[in-house]
Amino acid sequence: MKNVVALLIAAPGSLRRTEAEVLSAARRLADGLGGRVTAVILGAADESWTADAAAYGAERVARVEHAALGSYQAELAVEAARQACLALQAEVCFVPSSTYGLELAPVLAQKLGAAVVADVTAAAGDAATGAVKITKPVYGGKANSELIARQAPLVLAMRSRAVAPVEKKAGAAAEVMKLDVQLDAALAKSTIVERKTEAAGGARLEDARIIVSGGRGLGGREGFALLEELAGLLGGSVGASRAACDQGWVPASWQIGQTGKKVAPELYLAVGISGASQHLVGIGGAKHIVAVNKDEKAPIFQAAEAGVVEDFKTFIPALIQAVKKHKAAEGK
Amino acid sequence: MHLVVCLKQILDPELPPGEFRVDAQKKEAVRGSASLVISVFDENALETALQLRDAAGQGKITALCVGPESAVDALRRALSLRVDEAIRIREEEFPALDGFGTARLLAAAVRKLEPADLVFCGREAGDWHGAMVGGLLAGELQRPFVSLVAGAQRAGEKYALRRQTDEGWETVECAAPAVVSVTNDDANQPRIPKVKDNMMAFRRQIPAWGAAELGVAAASLAGPNAALEFASLYVPKSERQCQVLGGENAEEKAAQMAKKLAEIQVL
Ligand SMILES: Cc1cc2nc3c(=O)[nH]c(=O)nc-3n(C[C@H](O)[C@H](O)[C@H](O)COP(=O)(O)OP(=O)(O)OC[C@H]3O[C@@H](n4cnc5c(N)ncnc54)[C@H](O)[C@@H]3O)c2cc1C
Ligand SMILES: Nc1ncnc2c1ncn2[C@@H]1O[C@H](COP(=O)(O)O)[C@@H](O)[C@H]1O
Repeated sequence: MKNVVALLIAAPGSLRRTEAEVLSAARRLADGLGGRVTAVILGAADESWTADAAAYGAERVARVEHAALGSYQAELAVEAARQACLALQAEVCFVPSSTYGLELAPVLAQKLGAAVVADVTAAAGDAATGAVKITKPVYGGKANSELIARQAPLVLAMRSRAVAPVEKKAGAAAEVMKLDVQLDAALAKSTIVERKTEAAGGARLEDARIIVSGGRGLGGREGFALLEELAGLLGGSVGASRAACDQGWVPASWQIGQTGKKVAPELYLAVGISGASQHLVGIGGAKHIVAVNKDEKAPIFQAAEAGVVEDFKTFIPALIQAVKKHKAAEGK
Repeated sequence: MHLVVCLKQILDPELPPGEFRVDAQKKEAVRGSASLVISVFDENALETALQLRDAAGQGKITALCVGPESAVDALRRALSLRVDEAIRIREEEFPALDGFGTARLLAAAVRKLEPADLVFCGREAGDWHGAMVGGLLAGELQRPFVSLVAGAQRAGEKYALRRQTDEGWETVECAAPAVVSVTNDDANQPRIPKVKDNMMAFRRQIPAWGAAELGVAAASLAGPNAALEFASLYVPKSERQCQVLGGENAEEKAAQMAKKLAEIQVL
């Protein structure tokens, strides 16, 4: 296998970390295989995406700009992706494990007769055999599985925050092409009638430098108000476990973990979170994990480098005071 | 209105890491004392379907599970939550099933039932996190597929599906019939069965369909994923030492924590 495609779905603004990761996964695999990367941009993305895709190592950038691809629509996106993969003779096609990526991947794979693996954390190539070794965590992160693909085509949905972006080479040259696809608007069976952005408590969790995160142990919204005060002081954002989101204490978009956001802050402060493997999956990229839990046996302490055994109701207000005192002493 | 919910029975995913073992030879988790449960997102899927039927005041729900004999427990649970019909697909007749094969079996079963408006799957099974059966099933049935749905409403001839995106929410209007994958939300938390419904479910016969009933041959089920070699399954090592920040009271511990935060340069 040598022909690697990074499938990028157009989004407003400049190319984001999601796309950078997909391009980087493709680049690393192509390096291993002695192959090459084509970035396929589906829809009307900003002009700068072409140069950025090249900077992340794509040798070729194919822009698919059919009028029917104005904004994402499932059936049209799949059909455009299918035609692009065939035209480019794609052997491996990378997509993100985002809402749209997870929608597209299985349907596209089926149409291409491709094997499909989602939530992939690594794909390594062997130039001698042309085989691809795929790593995919299973059982909520309690185990890893390794799969070897020897036959094309393959569709791989990359887990976010699993690959560090490759070094960006500004000004790198790529062959740029427009790729024509035939799309019939009647293929569309659904319409997105409303889009709502849910404000994060601070910076986007994926980009936050500091995250204060709460779980079922907080017992309600009031607990989260304390965390928001602390996060505000530290210049951080607030996240949550699935249990806290399921209770409706905070929006579902704050969920961190296997099926929530994957984050990579400098500090992850887990409060009233037990540390289930499915939660820890989301914070593997954190540099420092610190935990507060009233149960000294909580598994979160096995993932944390430092921890306090205490009721958050007494501890967090005390920490807020201590932080204020520290800041005052530093003259901040 | 006919709704179908696909349920997988899995090893309890809440099993603590300390008790979790894999059999590296067989490449599967060791069951040990763990219980078998309905995969978590399938419970959310079931709840989403139940709410849709509640809102319509009518309609029928069928639960499908491809699984071994033990899977009748999962289907019985679905019956106790008042699905109308529950059918097991005899996994034992179809060895080495992958996502493509599972989707083909589910598709054969859906075709045998009365026409379904919506077919609900979980976003991913809580054991292998395949995240593909829903999309593949949609492809088999040649129906549209909508991912990460947390709520469904009738909108005339169509359905309004509220789904999670990376940034927040979207409403997708989709023509029926369609297949959706369901994610968790505070709005679709599984309800608790009533005692009398538990008793009713206990008495129900659960039909089991195999190759003969479905008209599919085991040999025809392998999809492209059958070509993947399953090389290994292992538990990754992690060794972290947790420094306990002690003190006589919360204030002292907080002072320690502030010091720690300063040390790692976030304060
Ligand atoms: C397929 C699958 C995907 C999943 N995806 C995710 C995911 O993306 N993210 C996620 O988070 N989970 C996920 N889960 C769920 C996960 O398994 C756990 O159920 C969940 O993380 C538990 O949340 P929690 O730690 O907040 O709650 P609990 O496990 O109930 O822990 C609460 C903790 O709070 C502590 N506590 C209680 N009171 C106090 C107090 N006053 N002060 C201090 N501490 C206190 C308790 O000691 C306990 O440790 C997933 C599960 C499955 C099966
Ligand atoms: N054996 C099965 N029986 C019934 N439904 C299944 C089965 N396997 C998967 N599904 C459905 O497909 C969803 C996604 O599964 P997967 O692609 O395996 O992660 C699950 O949440 C179920 O709704």
